[in-house]
Amino acid sequence: MSDGSSDGTASDDSSDGTASGRGVTGWLRGWRPAVSMASRNLRRNRVRTVLAVLGVCIGVLAVAALGIFGNVLALGADDAIGDIGTQVVVSPNADAGVESLSAADVAAIRRAVDDPAVGDPAVVPLYSDSAVVEGASSQTFATVYGVEEPGLAFEAAEGRLPDRHRQGAIVGAGVAEDLGVGAGDTVGIAGTQVRVVAVLAESQTFSPVAPDDAVFLPESAFSADGYAQALVVAESGETARAAADAIREDVNAREERVDLFELAAIVDEINEFFDLLSTFLLGLGAISLVVAGVSILNVMLMSTVERRQEIGVMRAVGVTRRDVLRVLLAEAGLIGAAGAAAGTLLTVLLVAGLVAATPAVDAALVIDPTNGYYLLLALGFGVGVGLVSGAYPAWKAANERPVEALRS
Amino acid sequence: MYSVELRGATKRYPGGGAEPVVALDDVDFAVEPGEFVAVVGPSGSGKSTLLNVLGLLDDPTEGWRLLNGTDVTELSVAERTAARKESIGFVFQDFHLLPTLTAVENVALPTAFDPGDERDRAADLLARFGLGDRLDHEPSELSGGQKQRVAIARALINEPAVLLADEPTGNLDTETGESILAEFERVKEEGVAVIAVTHDPLVEEFADRVVELRDGVLKGGIAGETDSADGSPSDRNATAALAPEER
Repeated sequence: MSDGSSDGTASDDSSDGTASGRGVTGWLRGWRPAVSMASRNLRRNRVRTVLAVLGVCIGVLAVAALGIFGNVLALGADDAIGDIGTQVVVSPNADAGVESLSAADVAAIRRAVDDPAVGDPAVVPLYSDSAVVEGASSQTFATVYGVEEPGLAFEAAEGRLPDRHRQGAIVGAGVAEDLGVGAGDTVGIAGTQVRVVAVLAESQTFSPVAPDDAVFLPESAFSADGYAQALVVAESGETARAAADAIREDVNAREERVDLFELAAIVDEINEFFDLLSTFLLGLGAISLVVAGVSILNVMLMSTVERRQEIGVMRAVGVTRRDVLRVLLAEAGLIGAAGAAAGTLLTVLLVAGLVAATPAVDAALVIDPTNGYYLLLALGFGVGVGLVSGAYPAWKAANERPVEALRS
Repeated sequence: MYSVELRGATKRYPGGGAEPVVALDDVDFAVEPGEFVAVVGPSGSGKSTLLNVLGLLDDPTEGWRLLNGTDVTELSVAERTAARKESIGFVFQDFHLLPTLTAVENVALPTAFDPGDERDRAADLLARFGLGDRLDHEPSELSGGQKQRVAIARALINEPAVLLADEPTGNLDTETGESILAEFERVKEEGVAVIAVTHDPLVEEFADRVVELRDGVLKGGIAGETDSADGSPSDRNATAALAPEER
């Protein structure tokens, strides 16, 4: 009798050895019949399956759509305020008794930012005053700047910005509109008639310089002995911040000669807010996905209870617990995958429809690749929710003793 | 060597009260290859428990269980599953075919998760049972007798040593029942031990041997040991050793 039992264990060991030796292909092969049986089981109670799939579909739709909405909002905001962070305005520190920026200060600023690591931003010093500007039929109060190289900081909508500003006036978009003037007209500034050489494009950025409501004259028009401020125009928010740091370090090394106004920090906060908003929206979506998971759990529990005898028969005729588990997990996974696929597709259609219906939304923001990440995330979550909610009923059914299951 | 053998098998269930329910009481039972044994007895006498213990679905509380001479009394769940698959075929009163699978897939169910494709062999088996033209029918499209034939084919797919049948004719009319029993006769001719638990006198007619289970006590469990079956347990080992030679 003891011989018999040792024979039994020996043969079991060897069969275990071949099973593990089959490796990944064997593992995959075990799933094929499981998926085939699972899909037939799902077709048995179509209404219930469809409802469970619908649950996941809505959950995935919620996650993907809300995720994309949040992302588009953030991208849109970034697009609108993005340029804010690229300018640093350097002004004299009145608290330290510095009334204006001297040529030496401007040179110091130029030296500070003359570094490839900072992105080599342009430094545009400005004289500043204010005056009444007269057009043909109306007049307005505007800031008047003296600038030598306007092309470094501004863009023209009409006319051409000279490399060196020697004569004439460059008019901000707002002023030009108020006065109804364009390039080639004349405006009166503090009583002097000046020809308009260019009109600036409407400013996309928020800046204390407010170029829309300003008129730019050559430096020679000013007799002041110092600049009122200097604009540092960087390529990106990051380099702007680096430039500001460099100026603080170098120019303010011995005494606090200059004040820095940079919006990069504000942009960071705005971005943080949108990150928070995205997370919040994703969380909202996730709640519906959890509800979908519960519905899968419910469906799978119901279906394993109904099929208790069948599962018992499978176990009795020699189907292993692992294979029973596979069939049931495949069922839950298929519900999750079908729901996730449908939800993803619906999201694409919904977003496309919204873009088509809302001209205010920039299509370029919607086809941004980062939105794909939310689609993939939702897709993965959908399948994952299926598997996780299917795990308990599957485990429970697979581990039930066949003798109990057959008795019912 | 017996195909399947129980020695002093006792099965107790924890009852509702203090006393456990004794479903099998010191049962000695053995079936040879190619033998058709009918187990009869009133309801609640322990017939189903006997079948479950023989079929490795349930373990005896005490005693030994041997399958082809190998001790299979205490196996892990996985080992029991493997042993069932390899050596035991089940036929149920309610057929218990999976409704989503076709006839041929139902027959191949025990091997469905194995690397090879046994569907050809399953089709051959079905053809043997006269269902060659019903291979792709689902159970709902088959008659009771046809379903039971599919179930028998499923039980035979792994060439088992033992075929266990629980009221195999219980849901069939007399004529169909007879044809199913005729199939059992063919099965036993291939050296498979057939054990059927039944109330049906018809099954008794076809059986080589009829044993009666009453309140968990089995009479005539081992052929040639009828005298000692209800005798003292002390001489059991001696008769067990002698039994094969006596046949």
